Amino acid sequence: MMLIAGTVPIQGLPLTMGKVTDEGDAIVIGDRRIPCTQGTAAMISAALVTTACLGLDPPHGLVVGDIGEGKGSRELYQYLIDHVERLAPKVLALHYWLPDMGQTRELCRAVDRCRQRPVMIADAASMYSAKAAGLAGAFDVFTPDATEVAFLADAEATHPAHVARHLFETDAAHVPELARAAYRNGDAARLLLVKGAVDHIIRDGDVLATVKEPDVPALEAIGGTGDTITGLVAALTHCGLEPHEAAIIAGRANRVAGQHTRATPATRVWQVIREFPAVFREHLCSWSGVCSVKGENHD
Amino acid sequence: MAFMQRKQKPQPEGTGLVLFQEVQQAMHAEKVLRAAGHVVRLVAPPPELRKGCDLAVEINLTEQPAIERLLREKDAAWISVAPQRVGTAPLLDVVKVTDFGQWTMVRAGNMKITYDKATGIIVNVSGGGCPDIPYLYAQLVDRPLAEAPRPTEIGFTLCALNLERALAECLALHAKGGTP
Repeated sequence: MMLIAGTVPIQGLPLTMGKVTDEGDAIVIGDRRIPCTQGTAAMISAALVTTACLGLDPPHGLVVGDIGEGKGSRELYQYLIDHVERLAPKVLALHYWLPDMGQTRELCRAVDRCRQRPVMIADAASMYSAKAAGLAGAFDVFTPDATEVAFLADAEATHPAHVARHLFETDAAHVPELARAAYRNGDAARLLLVKGAVDHIIRDGDVLATVKEPDVPALEAIGGTGDTITGLVAALTHCGLEPHEAAIIAGRANRVAGQHTRATPATRVWQVIREFPAVFREHLCSWSGVCSVKGENHD
Repeated sequence: MAFMQRKQKPQPEGTGLVLFQEVQQAMHAEKVLRAAGHVVRLVAPPPELRKGCDLAVEINLTEQPAIERLLREKDAAWISVAPQRVGTAPLLDVVKVTDFGQWTMVRAGNMKITYDKATGIIVNVSGGGCPDIPYLYAQLVDRPLAEAPRPTEIGFTLCALNLERALAECLALHAKGGTP
């Protein structure tokens, strides 16, 4: 099972888990329809499109309503702490929530008790709390943007709003340097996919690859296009690719989908997501060697 | 399937401190914050952060805007909020502007707002990772800048605070014609 967990901006939505289905510009989990906008929904939607293209079981979504008050976030993490061992996901991707270091510690302890450790992926505030709690090393993949890699490089920062100015103002050419600082401090996952004008795929401080074509600058302005990359990484890892392979393909696919959409800064993320099937039909076989897994179940 | 709400087991581990002039103010603020559901506790601030009395309220620093708003609403007095780690940098105040032709994108810290120069309508919000950001996206996108709700009034986190700065810069730029 691939499990993607995070908050959604629907006040009062109770903790909800189930296989995800697609409904155009929304996803459905259980009987709940969740609009595919920036955040966890965009991440789940990108993973869903990928599994559908590959003929795999859809992701399981674990979501809860939280508009920032934190109550839903705490319920979500507590549910994972209590049940991750039983759920035994092969891939566990964590996303938006109100960062809490204590619950992150408890979750990592619970994951350690799993008979087979899931591939652990974190983006957004799940990455913030993992770093702040000193637990980045318990994760296989982080997917920061350029601001967030500066946050990872700042040993004292517990949120990207408090990054040292000299690190924040470092330009994209210095991403590898910031990543190395993060690894030195123990504040990076095994693999970093740093999203930006140039995507950097970095493992243990070494740049394994960069992705810069096609160049679609408007993607930076479109809310959710970082979330889609993380969803792609989760799904491609679930399909059996190594995390670094998944990261390279995710970076390429996001860009090509943006190009197909003729993305402008006013484009919505669901418009990018709906291009993924065409992108995969055209390129996935040559990019990955994964040419047909239709009908297989990798759970 | 939906699940019943579980009993919460909050594990307070704050990253920020609310500092006070007097012990009574700290105790009152702690009650106010607890009653509103924040996970907080009374602690002694380290000497290098101490500004008034020797009692502080430990908070999740990410919630700073929500906590300050609540203390204001309840007329609770405090001196300041500080990151608990002494070497932590102050809040970022860096704003960067990108010209996309028809659109302008303003980045404040980790948050970005893009608006249409001609109409002043917000067309996208990106960046951030706290749970109020998807909510703020829904509240801001497709609204004219001048009619958009202020992120610090309806948001809760440091991401919302950066979004507020981005919105303020967008409003100033748009008033000047949309370009820096």
